[in-house]
Amino acid sequence: MTPRKVLSDARSQAVLLLAPALVIYLVFAIYPMIDVVILSFQKWNGLDPHRQFVGTVNYSDIFTKDPVFWGAFRNTVIWTILSVIFPPIIGLALALGLNQPIFGRNTLRAVYYLPVIIAPIAVATMWRWMYDPFFGLFGEVLGMLGLQSWNQDWLGNRNIALYSAFVAHLWQSVGFSMVLFLAGLQGVNKTLIEAARIDGAGRWNVFRHVTMPALKTTITIVLVLSIISSLKAFDIVYGLTGGGPAQSTQMLALWAFTQSMQIFDFGRGSAISVVLLLITLAVVVPYLRWSQKREEFQ
Amino acid sequence: MMAASLAVMSEDATDRRPQRDWVLVGLWIALVVVAIVWIAPFVFIVFTSFKSTAQVMSTSAFAPPLSPRFANFSDAWARGRFGTTVFNSAIITLIKVPLGLFISSMAAYALARISFPGAKLLLLAILFGTMIPFQVMLAPLFTLVNSFGLIDTYPGVILPYLAFGVPYQVFILHGFFRGIPVELSEAARIDGASHFVIFTRIFLPLSLPVLAALLIIDFVATWNEFAMALVLLQDRNMWTLPLGLSAFQGQFSRDYGQLNAAIVMTVLPATIVYLIFQRYFVSGLTSGAVKG
Repeated sequence: MTPRKVLSDARSQAVLLLAPALVIYLVFAIYPMIDVVILSFQKWNGLDPHRQFVGTVNYSDIFTKDPVFWGAFRNTVIWTILSVIFPPIIGLALALGLNQPIFGRNTLRAVYYLPVIIAPIAVATMWRWMYDPFFGLFGEVLGMLGLQSWNQDWLGNRNIALYSAFVAHLWQSVGFSMVLFLAGLQGVNKTLIEAARIDGAGRWNVFRHVTMPALKTTITIVLVLSIISSLKAFDIVYGLTGGGPAQSTQMLALWAFTQSMQIFDFGRGSAISVVLLLITLAVVVPYLRWSQKREEFQ
Repeated sequence: MMAASLAVMSEDATDRRPQRDWVLVGLWIALVVVAIVWIAPFVFIVFTSFKSTAQVMSTSAFAPPLSPRFANFSDAWARGRFGTTVFNSAIITLIKVPLGLFISSMAAYALARISFPGAKLLLLAILFGTMIPFQVMLAPLFTLVNSFGLIDTYPGVILPYLAFGVPYQVFILHGFFRGIPVELSEAARIDGASHFVIFTRIFLPLSLPVLAALLIIDFVATWNEFAMALVLLQDRNMWTLPLGLSAFQGQFSRDYGQLNAAIVMTVLPATIVYLIFQRYFVSGLTSGAVKG
């Protein structure tokens, strides 16, 4: 077959067009996902040419012997719960507000969204400095309000460090939820709202019985994206606390990284990764089925 | 789809009422208060970046720097090796972003316009890829890149960046390409044009707005990426801007003025891009996640 003929054949053209993206995707995204599962059944320090198969030892180790794993698990769960409650609710409230005919909407929206585009590691650096107990922003503001006694070592106190870190994350992620809700609000039928108003429905009833039902799809999407992004929380915690103090802000993603890349126990690190991957899949797979159905329905 | 999400940007005053609506006034005040809280960290950081350590300790956090210390920026630039990190970030971003968009749009075209067995399954695999967290795979990624001998090289970080950028971009572009009338490509096919020609001559020009949105979103994402760079770029001469900032904080966290100058310099490029291309961000993000 001449080259010209290959090009004229639709299927070969499809292959040629797909090949670069597909090869890179398979090699650098799918293969590591398979390899992490393989590694989780092996003992390896990252250097040794030989990777030794050890069965499920890594899993029993992280579940029973690792003193940090369950703490990191718990923190990841707390972080996820906080992430599906606060950023979506605040984001929805802001979106509903911006959906009204008010002065300076575009500027307000730009302000709320600005933190989203900043590198999480820079957000971490900013907030670490803001949380400085001596010269930071929070001590200052509390001082202005006459509440000096409330000031404390926000990131150094193991009882509150996780929540301090989450507040930084909240500041960064609210804008993202808000923008998704704003887009969802565009899909709400305006005539339906008008009709409800003419029928005498107040603001709350319009919101409750017209707007909310129309936002159902958007709400699902926002919640799923919030769960997924909180499961992979890494940069912000790495930059703010590094998992400390005393592992009180340790997360599964960060602990997997620490085990593999700093303690050089690739087996254990990968076992933690697989646990995290399975939790993610438990959310992603039903979500994909749901969105496929929605696609076909349309 | 794009039109719907772009509409977010336009002002629509649906109910214009002659009398003052006090609920709206209250709402507006609440929104402004939130905006002030949201912007306060930036003000604090910028003010601090112009203060000497002595000023930081003696003045209020919200006191403007009356005798600004510009040397913080040049000192932080030199000590944080910003010359090196900005250069590396620029090289990686300038190669990765256009290249990624190009291969993604080719693949999206093939999936949208050429029928071949397994296309549907492939699309599903790509959709799946938009959801898998690479943070979970840092160790095997390191192992893989290391086995190619590409640790501490540009390709060693660009290739994984491409791999994790492809799914989202293919997904969005596929949705857009499917909306382009079939007659357009069919007519060109009958005239004997190959798919590659149709792709470059018809589809790419038609999808410039989407490509622009994806380009800007991907620029910011690539510029900000930290976790993969942390694992794949160990030599400090290869560090990107986020790695440099992280190290700067580790070393000079007590030089408040310079630390904040370093933060400002790190954050500034993405902020400028955002302020200029604001509308593309919103349209690009929402067209992917929320359809119709």
